[in-house]
Amino acid sequence: MNRIGRIPGFAATALVVAMAASGGSQAAVTDEDIINDQATTTDVVSNGMGLRGQRYSPLTKVNAETVQELRPVWAFSFGGEKQRGQESQPMVKDGVMYVTASYSRVFAIDVATGDELWEYNARLPDGIMPCCDVINRGVALYDDLVLFGTLDAKLVALNKDTGKVVWKKTVEDYKAGYSITAAPIVVNGKVITGVSGGEFGVVGKVEAYDAKTGDILWSRPTVEGHMGYVWKDGEKAEAGISGGQPGQTWPGDMWKSGGAATWLGGTYDPDTNLLFFGTGNPAPWNSHMRPGDNLFSSSRLAINPDNGEIVWHFQTTPHDGWDFDGVNELISFDYQDGGNTVKAAATADRNGFFYVLNRENGDFIRGFPFVDKITWAKGLDDKGRPILIEEGRPGNPADVAEGSKGESVFSAPSFLGGKNWMPMAYSQDTGLFYVPSNEWAMDIWNESVSYKKGAAYLGAGFTIKPLNEEYIGVLRAIDPKTGEEVWRYQNYAPLWGGVLTTAGGLVFMGNPEGYLMAFDAKSGEMKYKFNTGSGIVGSPITWEQDGEQYVSVVSGWGGAVPLWGGEVAKRVKHLNQGGTVWTFKLPQSAEVASR
Amino acid sequence: MDRCRPALLLALLLSCGLAQGAGAPDPLGSPMWDYLRERFLGDDRYRFDDRVRVELPPFAEDPTQVPVTIDATALKVPVERILIWADLNPIQHIATLYPLSDRVAPALSLRIKVQQATVVRAAVLAADGTWYLGGRHIDAAGGGCTAPSQAAADPYWESHLGEMQGRLFPPHSPDVSQRARFRVVHPMDTGLVDGIPEFYIERARLEDEHSHALMRLELSPPVSENPMLSFDTRGVRELRLWLRDNNGNEFATGVAAGGE
Repeated sequence: MNRIGRIPGFAATALVVAMAASGGSQAAVTDEDIINDQATTTDVVSNGMGLRGQRYSPLTKVNAETVQELRPVWAFSFGGEKQRGQESQPMVKDGVMYVTASYSRVFAIDVATGDELWEYNARLPDGIMPCCDVINRGVALYDDLVLFGTLDAKLVALNKDTGKVVWKKTVEDYKAGYSITAAPIVVNGKVITGVSGGEFGVVGKVEAYDAKTGDILWSRPTVEGHMGYVWKDGEKAEAGISGGQPGQTWPGDMWKSGGAATWLGGTYDPDTNLLFFGTGNPAPWNSHMRPGDNLFSSSRLAINPDNGEIVWHFQTTPHDGWDFDGVNELISFDYQDGGNTVKAAATADRNGFFYVLNRENGDFIRGFPFVDKITWAKGLDDKGRPILIEEGRPGNPADVAEGSKGESVFSAPSFLGGKNWMPMAYSQDTGLFYVPSNEWAMDIWNESVSYKKGAAYLGAGFTIKPLNEEYIGVLRAIDPKTGEEVWRYQNYAPLWGGVLTTAGGLVFMGNPEGYLMAFDAKSGEMKYKFNTGSGIVGSPITWEQDGEQYVSVVSGWGGAVPLWGGEVAKRVKHLNQGGTVWTFKLPQSAEVASR
Repeated sequence: MDRCRPALLLALLLSCGLAQGAGAPDPLGSPMWDYLRERFLGDDRYRFDDRVRVELPPFAEDPTQVPVTIDATALKVPVERILIWADLNPIQHIATLYPLSDRVAPALSLRIKVQQATVVRAAVLAADGTWYLGGRHIDAAGGGCTAPSQAAADPYWESHLGEMQGRLFPPHSPDVSQRARFRVVHPMDTGLVDGIPEFYIERARLEDEHSHALMRLELSPPVSENPMLSFDTRGVRELRLWLRDNNGNEFATGVAAGGE
């Protein structure tokens, strides 16, 4: 009796264990999942659809032939009165979408139905100081955690099933102007984040935390002269001054509030085991106050993910005077050159030049303008350093007898850049980069300014203006080997959303007019468009679920353009706000017909 | 009574069976009783019992700060859990207490928000599995849960969030317990005000000087802004209260006998 009684007991226990394990459809996100994200089409578990940031999917069911049949299957509203810029890239894991919204909100949505599973709303202090709208660009996923940064510069880990806070860390003091808007990335169990705040004279940095516990592991400042740190078993230890010592490329104490904010996050390349983080403008904008190259502002940094060491740097705009942040994503890619595989990386900078670098050592391979007009530099020298046009820099206010305003100059690109934050995509099929860019210029002048904690630290005035009547935005297909522009699509309003390309021969992008558009990757012919009801400034994704290919994009006009509009404002002021995730797929009949 | 006539023996058995479990009518006549009983007590046994004290003012002078005292000491039974709720609040649950030591009384004083005139109840789960219920009615002008917190209009909380004060009131005599009162700066936003997400302390733990837990609490947004929590303890020299809010912020402070 006793024995017989026990056997079913064992069986029941075994069954429970088996059931818990087969909850494998709800498995935790592993390092391997993240490293393989680009190749595994059933989920999206990294920002950039792969840590290299190529935003390329091998999926082909939605292609140049079938895309006309793409239909929305659900639309999910973020609700509330908080409809501001929605710059998020959604993530998808096990049939659940994790997407952020303006004002540091996170939503979990059932992909099959569009139903909300949970939402998390960070309670933000009124004193937050985002420079360029209250946006957020997305989460990272790791283990059973959903990780994201908030506008008050906190890093928060939520339980993926409940949305409850598991841990929360203060990355920096929001009262000094810090905030976080970029998606963090997870590399080998470390969650890595940058900070925003370059308009407030903060000191940029990249930091790594243990993704499961939130314990800090290392901190690397991005301004020359500041000490880096590593933590071992909770013990904080000095890890060397960034750049060796202060005062080499900055005058006086200017490095103490030098900017170089790492506000767009970074990418990672497993081949070289390097993180690539860009840095923002040096502070203040008035460059006459800080003669020198001002390292490591307006640069790309290659960082060792194990300890935060800067392995190499490449500065796109030394001694920046135009707000040419160097934050734009550096995308790793390989290409063949005379039978050799070149381990390259490419970036399209705010300053109007496209750069191809050797990603192993940061050496300049080639660079070329990708916008039509550049007034501040004649070109790049053989090291990739810009050849300046002296009269392209706004005048020194100290040279003016009366008043404090220096000579104003007309400058292209504008401070919002030939390309801003919106990520480009790289197709492994066509070998082309698809670059969302803008043709605009500015009048800019310098003023004197002094640093005060938590106050804007610009020393410049500016107004933005379009270069053409017909368009500002230009989606360009660019050959990184030749600099050739293979095709372009011109858009009336400035482009501010990310790009996605697929093995189906398509390029997806949204525009401020509200359309999700799909282009033929080779010809640029527009194959599809759908009006989502508000401007798109987010980044589309695609994945496969239950044998069907889905496409999602967040719609919701906002970001920096409507805030700094100048003469551009009249092209966008009629655009209405929103906050909706749109999800599309092919109807079964169309997919069957295409086979 | 009529229903006890022999002709209705079967009915009698049935109704008596129900009266033991889920049939007793609400002495306070609240329209939400059946719904909330099912939600909070399920099919458990329960009885209304005056020994569960719920002290309230007759009228909520300030519906965002209504002083309430819950005390189950007079039951003189081991208490596993105490649920506190307000029937007609949009968020009914106020707090759940888990007394973990006989050195803390099964009691709590706090301030709550009330949205309109309502019954406020305490349901005490005894070790035998029976719920003992006490409750009182409070009159109110209303709006306590959907009015913006003071914090929404004043950024004071941003730089003082989680600041805590604690005070230990010495006992009048050795037999009487000593009272500890804690106060913390927190907006306790309900999420019912447009544009202000819910932001509230959801967990608390009262510990002695050896970090042994005396009581664990789960709190909900109807606990008033800048919560004030008072406990009655016996034979404890030092107390520490730990708090965690739904944004993951943690706060703690301690008080010691003989000091403030």
